[in-house]
Amino acid sequence: MKSVIYILLSCLLLNISLLADDAKKFGKEITLKEKTSISKILANPKNFVGKKVLVEGTIVDVCSKRGCWMEIASDKEFQKIKIKVKDGEIVFPMESKGKSALVEGEVYEIKLTKEEAIEFGKHEAEEKGTKFDPGTIKGPVTLYQIKGFGALIK
Amino acid sequence: MSVVRKWLRVLHRDIGYVATGLTVIYAISGVAVNHVDEWNPNYIIEKTQTPIIPLDDSIFIAEKTADYVISQVGEKGKVKSYFRPDPETFQIFLEGNTISVDLKEWVVSQEKVKSRSLIRETNFLHLNAPKKIWTYIADIFAAALAFLAISGLFMIKGKNGIKGRGAWLTIAGFIIPVIFLILYYY
Repeated sequence: MKSVIYILLSCLLLNISLLADDAKKFGKEITLKEKTSISKILANPKNFVGKKVLVEGTIVDVCSKRGCWMEIASDKEFQKIKIKVKDGEIVFPMESKGKSALVEGEVYEIKLTKEEAIEFGKHEAEEKGTKFDPGTIKGPVTLYQIKGFGALIK
Repeated sequence: MSVVRKWLRVLHRDIGYVATGLTVIYAISGVAVNHVDEWNPNYIIEKTQTPIIPLDDSIFIAEKTADYVISQVGEKGKVKSYFRPDPETFQIFLEGNTISVDLKEWVVSQEKVKSRSLIRETNFLHLNAPKKIWTYIADIFAAALAFLAISGLFMIKGKNGIKGRGAWLTIAGFIIPVIFLILYYY
């Protein structure tokens, strides 16, 4: 009986240590050495679609319900890029906001019709608890995001 | 009592004891994440808005503006970083608090985040955030639950057993998900 209790306690301690670690490392190992500035990606996003990149920046927003995305600030003012991960595969904690992230992932594009863009905007505003004016969408929209594979949050 | 039934009882009892903790964890988290559209299962988020006296300064300096805003709203936390999503908004990140300043109207929005103790930990395990060895523990637990369910069917003999009342209740347990699949899936 003592050994059973010992195994159970070991499992508990293991989990506590995993929690305490608060996973500075998320997902897969980072393999790229050279960083690409977010401003460079956003200046010419089409050139980066399908390419693996390593980006760095301050985390300015995190999905509050599932931790399935985060936004990181660009090196240029008023710019940011969304890092999207598969639901449940990586969970970014909300405490990460304001911290610095190094992220490896693949740039991809989302093409939306005007109607889809309005729906997308509404959904995003609802998720963030912000206001959205459908009038700001004048036509089809193309979004560029990074599919995150691995991240290091400091 | 047959030897098979005797062993089923022993295994059902002991595996049941071991599974108790995990079953409770998965049950709590199950309810928590089942209602993810209605509430946040991991965090308590408190949002407030406060108008402040505009900073009389024509040149924007992040550090100076942050110090001024923080003093105006009475916050004391250490500043982690800043961000300007657009020319009219300035965000200041403190530990557990995101301060967003409307630089046109001088309205400060705060989003204070607190972890939901216990429930967040159960979600962490239930949704397999740790991955690694936990994945296999969860697999073993799933197999144990299946064993508990099946062994439970054969533990009692007689009219309340699987040949009597137990059969009808077991069939009912299968019919419930089938009804909802017909209603919502097909």
